[in-house]
This record gives sequence, C-alpha cells and structure tokens, in this order.
Amino acid sequence: MNQTKVNPYSRGVSIIGVGCTPFMYTVDNPETNGLTEGEMFGYAALKAMEDAGVNPQDVDFYFHGEASPLNGSNYLTPNIQIANWFGMKGKASIHHSEACCTGYLAIEQAVNAVASGKYNCVLSGCVEFGDSLAIGSHPYKREKMTMEKFLQTTSWLYDRNYTRSLMAGQELIYDDAAEWYKRTRGITDQEMDDTLNWMCINNRRNASVNPLALERTTYEELAKEKGFDNVMDYMRSPYNPKMGDFLRIGGVELKCDGAAAVIVCATDMVEKYMGNKSHKPIEVLGVGCAACEATTPHFEVRATEEAVRQVYDVTGVKPEEIDLFYANDFIITSHLISAEIAGYLPYGEGWKYICEGRTAYDGDKPINTNGGRTSFGHAHAASGMADLYEAVKQMRGEAGEGQVKVKHDTAMLRGYGGAQNICTYIIRTKED
Amino acid sequence: MAIKLEKVVETFYENLEQGKIMGRKCPKCGAVEFPPVYACNSCGSLETEWVEISGKAKLHSMVLPAALSSKPEYKALGKYCYGEVELEEGSRLNAVVRGINKKKRAELLDKLPVACHAVIYQRDGYKTIIFDLDEE
Repeated sequence: MNQTKVNPYSRGVSIIGVGCTPFMYTVDNPETNGLTEGEMFGYAALKAMEDAGVNPQDVDFYFHGEASPLNGSNYLTPNIQIANWFGMKGKASIHHSEACCTGYLAIEQAVNAVASGKYNCVLSGCVEFGDSLAIGSHPYKREKMTMEKFLQTTSWLYDRNYTRSLMAGQELIYDDAAEWYKRTRGITDQEMDDTLNWMCINNRRNASVNPLALERTTYEELAKEKGFDNVMDYMRSPYNPKMGDFLRIGGVELKCDGAAAVIVCATDMVEKYMGNKSHKPIEVLGVGCAACEATTPHFEVRATEEAVRQVYDVTGVKPEEIDLFYANDFIITSHLISAEIAGYLPYGEGWKYICEGRTAYDGDKPINTNGGRTSFGHAHAASGMADLYEAVKQMRGEAGEGQVKVKHDTAMLRGYGGAQNICTYIIRTKED
Repeated sequence: MAIKLEKVVETFYENLEQGKIMGRKCPKCGAVEFPPVYACNSCGSLETEWVEISGKAKLHSMVLPAALSSKPEYKALGKYCYGEVELEEGSRLNAVVRGINKKKRAELLDKLPVACHAVIYQRDGYKTIIFDLDEE
C-alpha cells in the first residue's frame, strides 16, 4: 500500500480552548426541539472562545465540519450560513465533510492553517443532526430521521462504480475488524463476544459519569432491571441481540445530535491569545492520515496502520508514552483494534485488558473516557471533535467525576469514517 | 501508450456482458488493478492497459451475513460469506463468496486460504463479479 512521509510543522500549534454541547436527541425533548445548526455550532464555538480567552475578532478563520449537510440541514454551503451566530461575520471559512472522520480531520485542517503561517488563531467546529432532518419548508422545525432514510444516505458513502456492485465492502464494515482480530490473535468466538460486550460495558461506565453523554445508565443497572444478577448474562441475552456475525446491538453507534469546537493558535503566541487563562495549552505534535476505499481488504486495519506509522514517525513519540487513547468506535470493535495497532495495548493482549476493565476511565489504560459512540453518542461529524473536548478536559484534570486516575499528559486520538478515512494525532500538555 | 480519457467502468461492465472479466495491468511493474482503474497503485505508473482476468482466486477471510450486513436482494445468492479474495494475478479485494455457511466456515477456518473462482453474476440491470468455492 502507498505510504507517505509526513514532515514536521513549520511552527508549533496548540489547543487553547474547547467547547461541546450535550449529545442528545433534540426533537425528543421540548427544551431542545427546534435547535438549529447556528445555535448548536454557535454554542460550541463561543464556549471554545470563552475557554481560550479570545473573542471572535481574534479568530482569523474557521473550519466547519458536517457529515451530511444536504440531507440533514438542506445546506450546500453550511459554513456560510452560520458565521453571524458566533461573531465571525465576514471572516473566511470552509466547509469539509469526511463523514464520521470529519471531527478528526477538522483538527488536521486547523493545525495546517496555523502551522503554515497564514493564520495565527483558528476555530474548527463540527455540527450534526444525526437523529433528525430539517423540514425544508420551515425555518427551524425538524423531524426524526427514519432508519430507511439513514440507510439510504449511508449507502452514498460507498463507491458507485464497483463497491456497491460487488456487494461486499459496504457490508464488511460491521464485522471485518472482529474477524481479523479473532483470526490473527487466535482467540475463540466466546472470547471475541465477551470482549465486544466488555467494550460496551466499559464505554457505558465512562458515560455514566459524563454529564454531556447521551446514555448514562450502566449495563449493570440495565441487567438488574431485567432480573439478571450478572451483567455478562444480560449482555449475552436477547436484550443485546446479535446484529452482525460478531457484533451485538450494544456495539453499534447511537446516532444523535451535537456540536463541538476547538480554538488553536501558534504555540509561540499562546500568551497573547490566552491572556490570564490559567490552564496549560496542549500542543498538537503531529497528525497521520490514510484512506482506503471499502473494496480494500481490511480497510480499517490497513489505513490505521499507515496513519499510526506516520504520526509516530513525525513526532518521535513512542507507544509507551501515550497516557490516554480515543478511537471513533461507531462499530465498537474499532477501539480494540486501533488501540493494539497503536501499541497502546500490547499485541494480542488488548482483549484481556478490556475484559478486565482496565480500559475504563478508572483503569490503567483508559480508552474513550467520554463513553465512545455507543454511549456518549454519535453526532457524526461532531463526535471526533467531542473526543478532543474530552481529551483536553482529561489532560487539564477538569473531567470531574470521570477524571482518569493515571498520568494524563499525552493522548492519541484515532478518527475513522467515510468508507474510510483514518486520521490519527498525538497531543501533549505544553510545559512551561 | 498515452494517458487517455477513457470509459474504463463502462468497458468493464460491457465485457462482463460478453463473458469476460477484465482488469488493468501495469506495463512497468506488471501489477494488475482489479477492479480496473487508470493508474498503478503498486509502482505509481500513470498508465495501465487492459488484461483479461483468469478468475482463479483464493479466499483469505470469512464474515457471514447478518441482520445489519445483508439485503433482501442477497437472498438469491444462497449461502455465502464476505471476505478478502486474492486473484491469481495478485489483486486483493473484498468480495462475495458463495458456498459458505456457518458449518462450512467452521470446516474451512484452519484451511485458509482456500481456492475459489470468479463467476459473472446478474444483478438488477447489470452483471457483476462474485466468487464460488472451487470444491462446490
């Protein structure tokens, strides 16, 4: 497979502010039903500016990410429609869309814009109404997204010329990684099933202590409600049915609505922008990216291997230096396989760490401390940015009840989506 | 050869109608692109040329269809799996392979890769490629 040599940035870039909405089903709640793109993105953007200590006039440019603006918002140019909401009227912007990887490539774009020297301070935000559709004839009302409509649009993720015709690539997204892991690591079907279930349990434990998460009821509580004494009995029961060859329903994303944003600036200009803010900036050390169209065998594995190789190569960071790990796990298997490929969990042993609860927020190898896509929720473009929000809060020690117990200076985040982009980056707290 | 604005996709499907499975071979390194595209992804050559595919292949992995990963239309395939298929010419792709159910998969797991061959398969309005196990 093709490989790319990534060069160091021309100047350092640091994260100085983050903002995030709760992830939610907006139309299900009278208090949130009617929220718009400008209100959601605007809230996240202004919270990020407040957090950074900047105002909109300090920000030179913004990136706007949304996975499905035409389908979800009736917009062709969604970035243009909302600048006024966060005080950036007249400022230049660009929209980008890489499906579920959007929120990760949002960092890549923002950092490049500052590292190049063109801009000093940039906003990057993402918004998605994954659970509802704009009613085009009305100024703000929305309607629930039907599964039929969702599946119709997700089919657009795949190559029309060959992949859809060949019938395999688009179907392998659910179970290919599990099959690959089970076969290459030599574990049994039962061990694979338990591992998938434990990822769900750990994700939900993490979400249970995160006030922004969509689903906060633990699987232990759900099991008890249904009369199970043992949570694993519940996870193996018809309450958690098999939806794939390996995948159960608990391992599938909860599509929802949300927005998140970040402010980055040149590292050598942090003091100018942050003023009297006391938190430390977090430097983006490097980003690795790859992409494999879905007819490529083991597309997620191969593209992750290449992106991880790039980011370690350009940063010089070693896997043992990674304190926290985040992975887009809209299919929950992703968080196991990407953590092993990244060397965050040892080869062939990652499944054991997961089954022992060591990857929950209070374990020694935390993964997806916000609850991941199966519990925090999946507002497609915005989820990657919400991962960054969580990582930054953890690294600052501001994660409240869900604060990790281990060292938390360096994090790796691995984005995935769009059949399939991969974007992996490493961030580290900037010391004085 | 020269770089041409060429209807590769249409040509591929028209050849299937004639019973031929076509790929594109790199004149520099000999790698075969399947499904066919303009350039070589192995050596970076800007050009490739048409070559007929033998259809001989090996299956390297097996995932069975389930609720999320099947469509009503696929019932006509009978028993099948999705998997990594390596063509005799070297290309690897995700494909449908017929002749595999849960029992058959259990028999084959320790024998991978197993031989299979390409079959031209009629879908609604066009033909495509799937594979059958050799022993079926």
